[in-house]
Amino acid sequence: MRNTLRQASHSANFMIGFVLIIAILIMVGVYPLFNPGSPLDMIGLGTFFKPGMYISMYDAAETAPSYTLRIDGAAAKRIDAKLPQSDRESMKRWLTAYGVPEDAIDVDDLNDLLNLWHNTYDEDARPAGLTSAFRRSVARIDAALDGLLEPLDVRVYTRDPQSGEMNETARIRDDQFINVSEVVTTRRLWLGTDNFGRDAFKELLAATGVSLKIGLIAGLIATALGLMLGLLSGFVGGLVDDIIMFFANLFTVIPGFVLLILISYSIGQEQRGATVVAAVIGCTSWVWTTRSVRAQTISLRNRDHVNLSRLSGHTLPRILATDILPYIASYVVMALILQICSGILAEAQLSMLGLGPKTTETPTLGLMMFWGMTYAAHQNGAWWAYFPVILMIALVSFSMNLMNTGLDQVFNPQLRS
Amino acid sequence: MAKIMLDVKELSTKYITRFREDVYAVDRVSFQVEEGKSLGVAGESGCGKSTLALSLMGYYFPPLHYMSGSIKIDGREITSMSPDDVRRNILGAEIAYIPQAAMNALNPTQKIIRFIEDVIQAHDPSKTRADVRDMARKRFEALNLPADVLDKHAVELSGGMKQRTVIAISTILSPKVLIADEPSSALDVTSQKMVIKMIFDLMRDGFIRSMIFITHELPLLYNVTDDIAVMYAGQFVETGPAEQTVFDPIHPYSRGLMRSIIVPEAGARSQKLEAIPGTPPNLKKPPAGCRFAERCKFASPQCRASDVAFTAIGGGRGYRCLYPEERLREVYAHA
Amino acid sequence: MKGYRKYFLKKLFWFAITLIAAVILNFALPRMMPSDPIATITQRVTEGMNNQNAVMQIYREYARKFGTDQPMWKQFFIYIGNLLKGDMGVSFQQYPRKVSDIVAASVVWTIALQLPAILVGWMIGNLLGALAAYLRKGFDKALVPISLFISGLPAFGLAVTLLVIFGITLKWLPISGGYSYDMLPSFSWRFIKSVIIHYQMPFWSIVLIAIGGQAIGMRSMSIYELNADYVKYSRFLGVKDRKVVGYVFRNAMLPQVTGLALSIGTMIGGALVAETIFSYPGLGSTIMGGITSADYPLISGVTLIITVMVLTMSFAIEMLYGVIDPRVKAAQSE
Repeated sequence: MRNTLRQASHSANFMIGFVLIIAILIMVGVYPLFNPGSPLDMIGLGTFFKPGMYISMYDAAETAPSYTLRIDGAAAKRIDAKLPQSDRESMKRWLTAYGVPEDAIDVDDLNDLLNLWHNTYDEDARPAGLTSAFRRSVARIDAALDGLLEPLDVRVYTRDPQSGEMNETARIRDDQFINVSEVVTTRRLWLGTDNFGRDAFKELLAATGVSLKIGLIAGLIATALGLMLGLLSGFVGGLVDDIIMFFANLFTVIPGFVLLILISYSIGQEQRGATVVAAVIGCTSWVWTTRSVRAQTISLRNRDHVNLSRLSGHTLPRILATDILPYIASYVVMALILQICSGILAEAQLSMLGLGPKTTETPTLGLMMFWGMTYAAHQNGAWWAYFPVILMIALVSFSMNLMNTGLDQVFNPQLRS
Repeated sequence: MAKIMLDVKELSTKYITRFREDVYAVDRVSFQVEEGKSLGVAGESGCGKSTLALSLMGYYFPPLHYMSGSIKIDGREITSMSPDDVRRNILGAEIAYIPQAAMNALNPTQKIIRFIEDVIQAHDPSKTRADVRDMARKRFEALNLPADVLDKHAVELSGGMKQRTVIAISTILSPKVLIADEPSSALDVTSQKMVIKMIFDLMRDGFIRSMIFITHELPLLYNVTDDIAVMYAGQFVETGPAEQTVFDPIHPYSRGLMRSIIVPEAGARSQKLEAIPGTPPNLKKPPAGCRFAERCKFASPQCRASDVAFTAIGGGRGYRCLYPEERLREVYAHA
Repeated sequence: MKGYRKYFLKKLFWFAITLIAAVILNFALPRMMPSDPIATITQRVTEGMNNQNAVMQIYREYARKFGTDQPMWKQFFIYIGNLLKGDMGVSFQQYPRKVSDIVAASVVWTIALQLPAILVGWMIGNLLGALAAYLRKGFDKALVPISLFISGLPAFGLAVTLLVIFGITLKWLPISGGYSYDMLPSFSWRFIKSVIIHYQMPFWSIVLIAIGGQAIGMRSMSIYELNADYVKYSRFLGVKDRKVVGYVFRNAMLPQVTGLALSIGTMIGGALVAETIFSYPGLGSTIMGGITSADYPLISGVTLIITVMVLTMSFAIEMLYGVIDPRVKAAQSE
């Protein structure tokens, strides 16, 4: 076994996959230490907040000292950000209808556009081809523009609890700045929030952990079942072999996915925790391991050392454990890696159909994807709610496949280049 | 004097491994085979005899590479020909090969006749399917092989039948030289005999005109081939007529090899069976002197100092040793 | 010919056994569900009714109609009898539509989508794998990690990615449905064009996933075959390189055929989930609808159809394999 590991460590594929997996595991384990609290806390009231640094406005207004910085074009930038593209298009439409040639209007040059607008716009004009509703909306834009052009100070008033009067407590000029590190409450949401207002990055890492656990449990169950049945079937032969192979053949052709749907559905939403889902996946995917373990065992069954052991009167479990198992260990490890990988995929697919683990208690990669899709994250441009999930699944299964390819090259030298 | 069918001079080839190391597997091998004659090549496994078989074909693909030397088939030099020329005009047509593992030599999913078609049409595209079938049937009948084999797949044939089919296909174009690389090693004794008989029938009937037989089973060679060459670490260490080489070897290695094998002949039975101690040298860095020196009981510092030339001593015999023949015989008498 | 018949009969026997087992599982598993589906549907129908007697009446009516008041074994025979008549019960959610009608409407879409997609993916994958094995060097070095990455992606992941790129960002292709929502199915050119446009993204997402898995398998098989003894032997007999490569790829391809038969179930499972991403009117979306509304006759009907589909496809592939690989015949006549 140690020799096997040493050989495997010479394979670049194996090592890349291994390092990737370890890196993911470290992130999953370490991040909660820096950012404690349940990953399922709904911190955002609303859906799909963008990724970024969030700063408490309240604290920001109160943060002292403030600094005066003269930054060129800050005002223009602010107006630029406040006048949406759709409003500019509306302005352009009005202007063209009024008779301004189209190539004289540049919606991207804000100064130009505002000057033109100021000189041309007439609230009472009725250019041909424009509905009154559109004219009204343009009038609203015009009204808002006045506030934009003039850099008014933001004034903060608070109500005096005794007199009920409003007193100005702060006045914020447009060249006033604070240092973010001095604001007491900030929150970095690397991947924004999901549809429930949860911190998507934190949830992603927690979900990766749970999905890996599901994969591991499913993989262990499938491999244990497959190993046991395969050893028995291959070594004992006869009727035992016939019976096991009958079921193996049966479940090779009945799609495992259908079984998963039926069983998961039958168990019902209430009973479906992450562990149960993992167990169900494990119990429906033992067939491949059984087949390959059986084939390996049959090829070993009549080797001399096995016969010797049999003649010395060793018990069946002992022969299996000491004379067969060590020779097929590498195949079993490879099968386990594949099973873990397909377990993670199976959970994701089940969850996508609404058959995943009970949805309010555990985050899994599949569930994150499911909710992202249910709330149409992809149509709202909220890439952070689904794309990192896909990437994570792909990364996990890529690194495991890579490890397996590496092992395959170690054990089947013909595949080496 | 009979025509020389195969004339090999100073042929050297090497393997280049995937770590880009050179392995000098065949080193300056020279010999001739006359028309109607057969040469046996003997040696331990790993001595380069299978590589020699591949090297003689004049068609090299990685990891095997040609280095130097000449191969003349019926007077025609093939090492200077282009690979495609060799493929079309030499391989199968002038020099043919029977592989070591005949069991897997045939494509399992192809009908025998289709493969024969591919072989024949590779050399003569003008042959039609009907021509090929006609040729194949006639040849199979001449060799006492059932013609219905032609329409079977390789997987449907038994082991012995597969082996004989491979021999028939290899010689279907009546090559001048046949190289048989341990064609019988994987078979039972009856099949072995049948295969050997078949090869000699081919020679007798003129379907092949000379033969090289490669094996690690010396008794087989002594019984069937005219001449014997003993190979060690990529070199011929001794050549000569079969009987003399087996019962009166000159080179210390040949002597050791013969003594390590039971030869079922009178006079040999009393000899003690002994193994040669040590292992052959690493051919990635062959020794500067005699390659056998490390294992040779009689080696002197001179043996290791410089390259040892091959000495011809007349009567078709020759050996690669620093000592003269008389000196060796003297040493053997006292050993 | 005897070998083929034996092989065919053996496979047919297995097909029958598996089919029976699948039907039993399909019947038994949902009935082990702890909740009472009849209660759910009664609740839905009787919403707003105050008369308890009338509610009970309706409950019994449904129980009788769905046969849930009978003992299990009787239910099974009723189920089998109904199945043979093509009757899979009535959908709870889309009451009183028959499950067989719903399934029949969606299975056409699924077959028309997945069968060509899987076959195209299989062929392209095999071609790429064979090329990688033959050319080695850079092509091989690039293909292996890319294939590994793609084959590790879940089908729905690729589906969403394609959808966002081509449907939402570039707006080249429609993002949902099997045809434009303002049309009714007809044989008009406009409708067919709409179907073809809607077909592209689901199709290519399934194809790409299939390519990844197949390419890797084919590469390994081809490398294995390239080292086979018959390759060396054929070359030493002067057979043209093109012919030898032909032998190799044919032989490497054959195990891939059985591989397809064995993996088709997994591939369809993944593809069904990809269908739901595009709200494609196939079985995937249907079963998802069934699950969300606890419509068990519908779920049961869809799972049965998927199973039959997969079984039939792998049976057909195995039959084809028996004909094209002479080793099967040889193995059977031993």
